[in-house]
Amino acid sequence: MKILLVISVDPWTRSVPTVHKYVEAGRKLGHDIAVFGDPNPELPGLPFTTDLSGVDLALFALQVPTDFPDMPHLAHLLDGIPRERRLIVDLWGRYNDTILLEHDFNHLEKLDGHLGWEWEEAIEAVSDTILQPTLTPLRANVQPFLFHGFDPQSVARSYATAQEAAAVWRANRPAERPYGVMYVGSNWQRWEQVRRFLEQYGRVRGAVGKACLIGWDWWERPDWAIEKGILGIDTNPELLAELEVEVRHGVRFDEVVDLLGQARFAPIFHRPLFKHLGFVTVRSFETFYADSLPVLMLPRDFVRSIYGEAALTLVPGADVGEHLLDALERPELYWDAVLQTRSHLARHHSYEHRLQELGELLEKGVLSRERR
Amino acid sequence: MRILFVMKHRGNAGNTHAVADYMRVAKKHGHEVALFGPPQPWLPDLQFSMDVGAFDKVAYLFESELYRVSRLHEVRLLGTVPRDNRVVLDMDGMYNPLILLDGYDRNHAGEAERRQWIEHYHALSDRVVKPTIAAPDQPHVTPLPFYGYDPALQLDSAAAPEKTYDILHVGHNWWRWKEIAEKVLPALGGIRDEIGRIGFVGLWWDEPPAEGPDAGPPEAFQSDPELFRKLRIETRSAVMFDEVIRTMSTARINIFTQRPILHHLRHLTLKYFEIFYADTIPLLMLDPDHAAAVYGPAARELVLSGDTGAKILDALKRPDCYRGVVEDVRRHLSTHHSYDTRLEELIAFLQK
Repeated sequence: MKILLVISVDPWTRSVPTVHKYVEAGRKLGHDIAVFGDPNPELPGLPFTTDLSGVDLALFALQVPTDFPDMPHLAHLLDGIPRERRLIVDLWGRYNDTILLEHDFNHLEKLDGHLGWEWEEAIEAVSDTILQPTLTPLRANVQPFLFHGFDPQSVARSYATAQEAAAVWRANRPAERPYGVMYVGSNWQRWEQVRRFLEQYGRVRGAVGKACLIGWDWWERPDWAIEKGILGIDTNPELLAELEVEVRHGVRFDEVVDLLGQARFAPIFHRPLFKHLGFVTVRSFETFYADSLPVLMLPRDFVRSIYGEAALTLVPGADVGEHLLDALERPELYWDAVLQTRSHLARHHSYEHRLQELGELLEKGVLSRERR
Repeated sequence: MRILFVMKHRGNAGNTHAVADYMRVAKKHGHEVALFGPPQPWLPDLQFSMDVGAFDKVAYLFESELYRVSRLHEVRLLGTVPRDNRVVLDMDGMYNPLILLDGYDRNHAGEAERRQWIEHYHALSDRVVKPTIAAPDQPHVTPLPFYGYDPALQLDSAAAPEKTYDILHVGHNWWRWKEIAEKVLPALGGIRDEIGRIGFVGLWWDEPPAEGPDAGPPEAFQSDPELFRKLRIETRSAVMFDEVIRTMSTARINIFTQRPILHHLRHLTLKYFEIFYADTIPLLMLDPDHAAAVYGPAARELVLSGDTGAKILDALKRPDCYRGVVEDVRRHLSTHHSYDTRLEELIAFLQK
């Protein structure tokens, strides 16, 4: 198949790792996959094209308004690819009624100038096949398609057994693994969760090791959020200083996995909106590539449905500190959960699997259009 | 037919007024015309809509700015309205080769900008309309006069406001300075003591736009407030489209000028017609043949082509004679340029 991915790609943010994985998986399976648009010299690993000839499928992956290409490309694309060959995956839950949770939201006019119905109409204008990265879409006309996936070849360090993994993990010297905990991701609607995590980690940080936050806006609330009165991008520099948390700016997508491998633990946080919608993100899967123990700060039902039963071991109980101490004490148990989960992800969430799903969704869309 | 215009909402510009005229006439003929966007409280008489799917045709109307709606609305418009149902209306001559007139007025700053416009137009539609009666100059260009004349809007002398000016010029200072400075002001200077109040109504006669270079090239807004003061010329800011005719009617004479490039391209503008609704004597800074082609042969009498000062004085001295000419022109316009005809032409074109 000739597949076009319609999405804005930026080496520093959003779904760029997933886009790379689609291209790699496509090469392996004999598909021609490219990103729609002009080449980006910062992303030499991605093929770009504006050639619409022979395109079998255009997958619009929507997060922000600029994921839709600018003119004149936008018109070429919508005029050039038949509607039934266009699919749209709504990665940020725009295609829902307006949701406000804690401080999180799916529509906010003062942030991007758009009301809920504008998102809805734009999405419906693109395709009849509307997808969301969740197993449980709220709307009947939305189909589940997780978009992000797991590539077993990308695991930073493979182990034959949990014992081997635990032994390596336990033996790592500070030079090899200088951090106890590392989270890579920007401060966007996650502070409350991060704060609770850090407070509980704080009690055991001597045993666990230093914490590090990598991403934008962890050190101070950004001016634009203050100006626009947008909550949820909060922080507490005193707490971070007290816990000696190292704060670093965002990094390129291709540095994330190696960085996470410098820490014993790598928590996964989903913003409140995504938790509510059961959405996955690039980091939901990518964290399992790292040579680190993921800490799944996610609802148990969600973990079971996406990661499999074994991953429940990686979900802390009421006290994160105890969880971390227990993992230090019994790493074999936790690494066994990681290896089982990686295997589950490889079986159920590979990019080959995603491409197969896309083919089926396309066929379904074409048939349903023909029937009409 | 339901037609949706996608264009910048400018209550003080001719194209908004023209579309308002289409709205009014369309209803009479069982059609519907609306502007894309949410209702604007400052334009209460205009119909707005964002219900893209309810329209048969979308007309993207461009002036001198490559007007864009937000990205999500762009997706909605392009994803809902098939290409065959979209047209571009090129009002300010942007769909042309690079034109530079007398080192002054130009349609584009350069070839790169021009290319961007052309690509944008081609992406939207295969068909471009130019508001002119001149023959088409490119294969997929359709000339349509677009602007029209509705005799019902003529203002009776009895209903007209008091004449407080001898001369008015109603229009924005957008590429008009050269003609005003070289032809109009010297003529007015020569007869200044023989005439009463003179006014220029519109934007940017006193100073360029506050936006600075973002609003356009500085030459487009050139002015000389000191010379205006010397000639005792009053300036007033722009009026809303529904006040234009009454404003023009406060003067015995209205001088009509057209942006040079649009005159060169033989483009029509709303002002061509609007000025004949007013209770005034229009004096036209136009090529006489072009004026006759639009207004009929009588209009040659209203053209300022020789001694401008003498013509102005003559019109002030013999108003009844000039009013007779104005009536001839009004009759011609009613016969040949009614909005009913315009709407028919537009619908016939859109149905092709």
